[in-house]
Amino acid sequence: MTITVPATMTRPKRSGFSRALFRADRTITVLSVISIVGAWYLGSWALSVRVLPAPHIVAAVLIEELQKGQIYADIAITLGRICAAFTIAMTVSAILGFTMGLSHVAGVFFRVWVVCFITIPALVIMLTCYMVIGLNDKAAIVGAAIPIIPILTINIRESVKGIDLRLLGMAKAFRASRQQQILGVVAPQIAPILLASARFGLGLVWKMVLFAELLGRGDGIGYRIEFYYQMFNMTEVFAHALSFVIVMLFIEVVILGTIEKRIFRWRTQ
Amino acid sequence: MAQIDLRNIRKEFHGRGASQGWLALDGIDLSLEVGEIVGLLGPSGCGKSTLLNIVAGLDHAYEGSFTIQGKSIEEQIAAGFRVAYVFQEARLLPWKTVRGNVEFALKASKFPQSEWRERVDRVLGLVELGKFAEFYPGQLSGGMQQRASIARAFAIEPDILLMDEPFSALDEMTARHLRQSLLNIWSAFRTTILFVSHNAVEASFLADRVMIMGNGPGGKIRQEVSISGVKRPRSYVDTDLFEKSKGVINALRAHSGRSEIIVA
Repeated sequence: MTITVPATMTRPKRSGFSRALFRADRTITVLSVISIVGAWYLGSWALSVRVLPAPHIVAAVLIEELQKGQIYADIAITLGRICAAFTIAMTVSAILGFTMGLSHVAGVFFRVWVVCFITIPALVIMLTCYMVIGLNDKAAIVGAAIPIIPILTINIRESVKGIDLRLLGMAKAFRASRQQQILGVVAPQIAPILLASARFGLGLVWKMVLFAELLGRGDGIGYRIEFYYQMFNMTEVFAHALSFVIVMLFIEVVILGTIEKRIFRWRTQ
Repeated sequence: MAQIDLRNIRKEFHGRGASQGWLALDGIDLSLEVGEIVGLLGPSGCGKSTLLNIVAGLDHAYEGSFTIQGKSIEEQIAAGFRVAYVFQEARLLPWKTVRGNVEFALKASKFPQSEWRERVDRVLGLVELGKFAEFYPGQLSGGMQQRASIARAFAIEPDILLMDEPFSALDEMTARHLRQSLLNIWSAFRTTILFVSHNAVEASFLADRVMIMGNGPGGKIRQEVSISGVKRPRSYVDTDLFEKSKGVINALRAHSGRSEIIVA
């Protein structure tokens, strides 16, 4: 059996089919965005504008807020809390998830903890944090981190169990050093797990931080939303929410999306 | 002195909470000379792969004596003895190109980085994958992936190559081509090879000696069939090889306790 390939061929290029698929995906994404905005317009038309203002009204108020400048401080404060809560949640979840995935004893021991904490409402955890730690930033951050730790822990634990041990067996058979086994075989398998959990965790943590701000802080996007809700100014509520949706979309699509493309290029080949 | 020498090897597995273990190997005696190809043939569960793992130095929990030129495997590996493994599945790292996968083994065996490119190009050329060096495993067929794994094994110029049913997941024509490729490379390196197979014709085609193992528990080497009389390079249509493989099948039938095996 002889295999012939063009002499110039060094790495396969993206085929015409995959280019067409990529273009189709982009078109579907654009249509999806249009459908969301359309549904929003439809809702604002069906309901009162005071309840659900139309997208262009919300956008105009958001631009006005951006020109005034106060919103930047609120976004920065909320982002800071999200970063802190996310770091805590990811660190604890990664340690717990890997320990539970790799050790049978740890898996059985922490299973009860995870089940208990996953059933406690986030509201109860946050109120308890405010009562125990005080009405301050630390309590808001810890209160936002704790509810998502069990969810992320389960996510990471299940993914760790899926690591291909046969590849590790191959590395051991070739007498790869412990460092080469970890960096060359384990880490590339763990990277997608952590990235998927990071995306999932980020989506959860920002909702929790807003909730914590609404309950017990005097600044940040969550506090502003609560403030304008009390004033029954839904346009401002939506404008502040939209400002943060844009920030989170930027983090998700530009930052995490770029990391994913760089690290997992082999998957698309 | 034999290169590989196993004496009275006994291996028992113990399940979690089980009062009685499973005796996988009992009283295994096996010697391999330098450059020899030896096949292990036997029914499923007779302990062939377990024996391979012991020789690979991956399993230390056994009784008996296993030496390489009179020394333990740990001592030999510390002194630069190299073991390579070809598995049933290619076990290539999917995030690395074919070149990256071969380089992984070279790095593990502590070859200087300056030699990597030349070594990789050489072994990939031997398995006809030279033009696929920058491809990812997912872009290759099963046969090409297995060829890459054979290249990975020979790249480190092993003192012993262990193979666990390396061609069983491939169609017969691809497997035949790969067996021939393997022998071509072997004739260049003269590596000692110990392999496990379920295929009597494959074992006869590749090996100098075929060791027939009996049913577990307590897998033993029941019979040795010498194929060294069949000259290399061998051909599948060689009548001598056909007669030898019939002998291997008969021996396998006699020791597996399964009468339904049909003689080819």
